[in-house]
Amino acid sequence: MTSLMDHQARETVGYSFSESTAGVKQHGFYPYTDNGGSTLGITGSDFAILAGDTRSTSGYNINSRMVPKVFKIGGDDETGEGATIVLSVVGFAADGNALKERLDTVVKMYKYQHGKPMSVSACAQRLSTILYQKRFFPYYVHAILAGLDEEGKGALYSYDPVGSYEREQCRAAGAAASLIMPFLDNQVNFKNQYIPGSGEGHALAAKKPEPLPLETVKGLVRDAFTSAVERHIEVGDNLQMVIITKDGIEEVYHPLKKD
Amino acid sequence: MGSPFDINGGACVAMVGKDCVAIACDLRLGMQALTISNNFPKIFNYAPSTYLGLTGLATDVNTVSDLFRYKVNMYRLREERHISPSDPGQPGQLIVPFICGFDSIGCIDFAKDFIVSGTASDQLFGTCEGLWEPDLGPEDLFETISQALLSAVDRDALSGWGAQVYIIEKDKVTQRLLKGRQD
Repeated sequence: MTSLMDHQARETVGYSFSESTAGVKQHGFYPYTDNGGSTLGITGSDFAILAGDTRSTSGYNINSRMVPKVFKIGGDDETGEGATIVLSVVGFAADGNALKERLDTVVKMYKYQHGKPMSVSACAQRLSTILYQKRFFPYYVHAILAGLDEEGKGALYSYDPVGSYEREQCRAAGAAASLIMPFLDNQVNFKNQYIPGSGEGHALAAKKPEPLPLETVKGLVRDAFTSAVERHIEVGDNLQMVIITKDGIEEVYHPLKKD
Repeated sequence: MGSPFDINGGACVAMVGKDCVAIACDLRLGMQALTISNNFPKIFNYAPSTYLGLTGLATDVNTVSDLFRYKVNMYRLREERHISPSDPGQPGQLIVPFICGFDSIGCIDFAKDFIVSGTASDQLFGTCEGLWEPDLGPEDLFETISQALLSAVDRDALSGWGAQVYIIEKDKVTQRLLKGRQD
């Protein structure tokens, strides 16, 4: 995917004076930009959280400090009231918005035609199809879809840009995914953690991952983002947190560092 | 061909605690995706409480560690005392926890918390920033640096295959070998 975007690296040195015009002029078509930012989703036994920062960048510039990346899907009106599914998109913001609009329409049409809301698993499969339909001119995004499954448990699906998807307990995407994901492995799935005194030498029993309480997860999300903001220039400004429970969707904003 | 910095792979991290410091590295040596050895430590000892971690091109890790050993040996013969991490080193100077990092041309990063390097540096920045806190005792610092390193190298294909951790206190150094994931 990066090869579509590293055209700047192949250009010659950017002198301030005009270069020789001899030779053939080549035109290019670069339909993608990377708008930075990061998203993150974690599920619990009866809830799911999707979060993202609200900074939008291009190169070293900040386009805006308030561009949300997490969207309610299939709501009754523009505010997303009545929605049960949430989508986060990070990467190329224009594609993200287009994808959100498409999925929103599909989920609404499903409700009008069948007289019942779409399940998260059905929505997850549909999103994969939508992404794969553009296999050779992809939506340049990493999408994460969240909701509650048929049993009321938190459900989280993560996607690559062409529609490969998987249900997971937690996932980080975007610019700071490489910073956040190993922290989540350790703190959500308890990777590399063992139960003290459970065996001799290397025969220790691994600590089993279990669904975390809502307040713990909220804390982890905020810690993950404050850490990412500290070390990644494309992440910052505000943290948008969307919490999905059986009672509906709650959306909260927290300030992050703006430097 | 890839950058010399990520042909062989490897990761290294150092942390400051309360009256102690810790330094740790992974043990992998590779050629691109092929693992050549799982016993390639990247931390070298130069004085009773002076350690240096080196990541990057393995041949240069060897060259720099050997050259530095030669320079430190000459220093010890000339000055008739051990070298100290922060130098200008008057004898009997205050003993305080000290770590620093270098880029490949010698620019020093005097950090008060932690230093990371290697192909898993992004991952290490994330785990260290999330797990580290000030004034950790030796045992807590060991647990923190170990969890930070193991979790980070598990998300980097070029690092891992076990780890080595040193906990350096005022009059004691503890070395531990961690198994970690073998893949």
